[in-house]
Amino acid sequence: MTQASDWENPTLASEQYKIGDLLSRLWEAEETIRAIYAGEADAVVVNSPSGPRVYTLEGADHPFRVMVEQMHEGTVTLDPNRLVLYSNPQFAALIGAASESVAGSDFDRFLAPADATLFAGLIEAAVAGGHSSGELHLCDANDATIPVRLSVTLLDVAGMQNLCVIASDLREQRRNEAILKEERLSRLILEQAAEAIVVIDPQGVIVRRSESANLLARKPVLMELFDTAFPLTAAGIRLDTDRILAAMRAGEKITGVEAQMARPEGETFALLLSASPLSSDGNELVGLVITLTDITERKRAEEALATQADQLARSNSDLQQFAYSASHDLREPLRQLAVFTELLQTRYQDKLAAEAGLLIEHAVNSAHRMEGLIKDLLAYTQAADAPQGPTACTDANEIWRKTIATFETKITQSGARVDCDPLPVLAVHEVHLTQLFQNLIGNALKYRSQEPPRIHISAERNTSAERNEGLWKITVADNGIGIDPAYKNQVFGIFQRLHGGGRYSGSGIGLAICQKIVQRYGGRIWVESELGRGSRFMFTLPEKKNEAR
Amino acid sequence: MKRDSLEQLSLLVVEDSPADVFLVREALKEEGLSCHIKIADDGEKAILMLDDVDAGDQDAPNLLLVDLNVPRQNGEQVLERLRRSPRCGTTPVVMMSTSDTAVERKRAFELGATEYFCKPSTVAEFMQLGRLVRTLLEERYGTAA
Repeated sequence: MTQASDWENPTLASEQYKIGDLLSRLWEAEETIRAIYAGEADAVVVNSPSGPRVYTLEGADHPFRVMVEQMHEGTVTLDPNRLVLYSNPQFAALIGAASESVAGSDFDRFLAPADATLFAGLIEAAVAGGHSSGELHLCDANDATIPVRLSVTLLDVAGMQNLCVIASDLREQRRNEAILKEERLSRLILEQAAEAIVVIDPQGVIVRRSESANLLARKPVLMELFDTAFPLTAAGIRLDTDRILAAMRAGEKITGVEAQMARPEGETFALLLSASPLSSDGNELVGLVITLTDITERKRAEEALATQADQLARSNSDLQQFAYSASHDLREPLRQLAVFTELLQTRYQDKLAAEAGLLIEHAVNSAHRMEGLIKDLLAYTQAADAPQGPTACTDANEIWRKTIATFETKITQSGARVDCDPLPVLAVHEVHLTQLFQNLIGNALKYRSQEPPRIHISAERNTSAERNEGLWKITVADNGIGIDPAYKNQVFGIFQRLHGGGRYSGSGIGLAICQKIVQRYGGRIWVESELGRGSRFMFTLPEKKNEAR
Repeated sequence: MKRDSLEQLSLLVVEDSPADVFLVREALKEEGLSCHIKIADDGEKAILMLDDVDAGDQDAPNLLLVDLNVPRQNGEQVLERLRRSPRCGTTPVVMMSTSDTAVERKRAFELGATEYFCKPSTVAEFMQLGRLVRTLLEERYGTAA
């Protein structure tokens, strides 16, 4: 930089040149000092006869240190064994530890265990390529996980492969994402809910609404007054926001309140209204959420069903009444017919031709038979009538004993053996169970084969797949003449008989009565049989409630 | 046919069917009872007769045979009226009906019937009504001389 020859021949021009040169060198020096002072230079390169020399400047890393200490992200440097050499206060704060306790610790201590492999991968990538980054979780002193983005940079210092790790806290971001997701979900719910949902402010203005609210009101309702958009009445009285708020203040629950909404064109809707208050954090009422469910169709269906049930009940009752009066009133003239024909026969026997007596006998028999039929029909119409009194509860064992007693003569005469397993207590009226046993045991004795009758009664809890919980199945099995399976349903019909010619007495009402009784209790009756191989009549009846058998 | 002297006794038969009135007469005749018989063919007439009895305008009947199903006022109403009568409130009453349901029978006895007769469809059974009436009359009024 110096030229010695200029000093040997001093001229003005050369002096001036020297001054310029010195000034320029002074400026350069001053600029270097300023840069050093301002921290803009890491090192100074000085040309020397042995070549340029680099001078590092003590204190030049000070601004960086300040920056690292002040930066928002948590930063650590690690040695190749992942030992923390340095931690800034933000990293320590992030994991809830004191800065001094972080330096010197194994960095893996601060990693969520599940993410250990992920972190190892990040380090590998940084060592190979100088830099890597990824999202994983740290865990704090309380083992709570903290989502972070880690940037790993390789620091090759004096041959040591250290690492710089910068951790950006993602919690806020995740929270925001969750809120956004929730918000989107709420909007979806509002848009797609089948119910009309509206949110109103304390002044009754609709501030949010579901799509179906618009449909129900047949116009956009946002920013409309709720009371105008939905003119509701309940039991003829206006159901407006004032009333809803008043009810709410009185502590009433407004859930599923039935309301009507009339449109100008005269159409009326049936709605269910539910309302719940919307409170701020400070517990101040900031609005109401109102849900309106259109139940017009359901209501209509319910009404139709009720009308139908009503009609059915009336028609049933009419029919019952008709059958009763018909059978009752028909009996009187028939009875008289029978008696007077008989009187005719007894009083004028000698005056009538022999054949006349026979004809009168037929007439009397017919009248008696018809009277029997009418009696049976009457019994059938009354079969399932409920006797008055407390809820039915009958011990089947007792009814079985009583029934057997009434058949004592027949049993002795026929040499029948009738036995019975233990039976349950049933939730049926005594008179009904008695009729069932009398008809079924009576039939078993009547339709006997050549063999002496064997009748066995058994009971088991119904186990079929139908919705038959709490039903018992009672079986009356015999060794009688049996029934052709082709008639197994027909035998339960009114006045259905399988045998003519007076071979077996009876009008064929017994099994019809049995069926009617069993059906009254929600049970059913059926028969399994083959001609000549006996019959098994089975019926189901409800068991006594809370029975401990 | 038996004959005795319950003749001075009078019966009130409340029955709308002439055929049954005929049969009742036959049954009484069969039993040899030749009581005086008054007929009321509906319940209202029977009640009016009881009003007359209570007013002293008519003699009290010694026994009533009342069909349950008579027009206007039914047999139960006649029975109720009779039991409230100051003059003949304790008179024996046979309620008659074609049907024989337990409910009707129970109700008749609750209202104070003395007997319940289910009208049968054979002559022999119907004639037993005479026997029943005789028994009731004898129990109440003794075997008249």
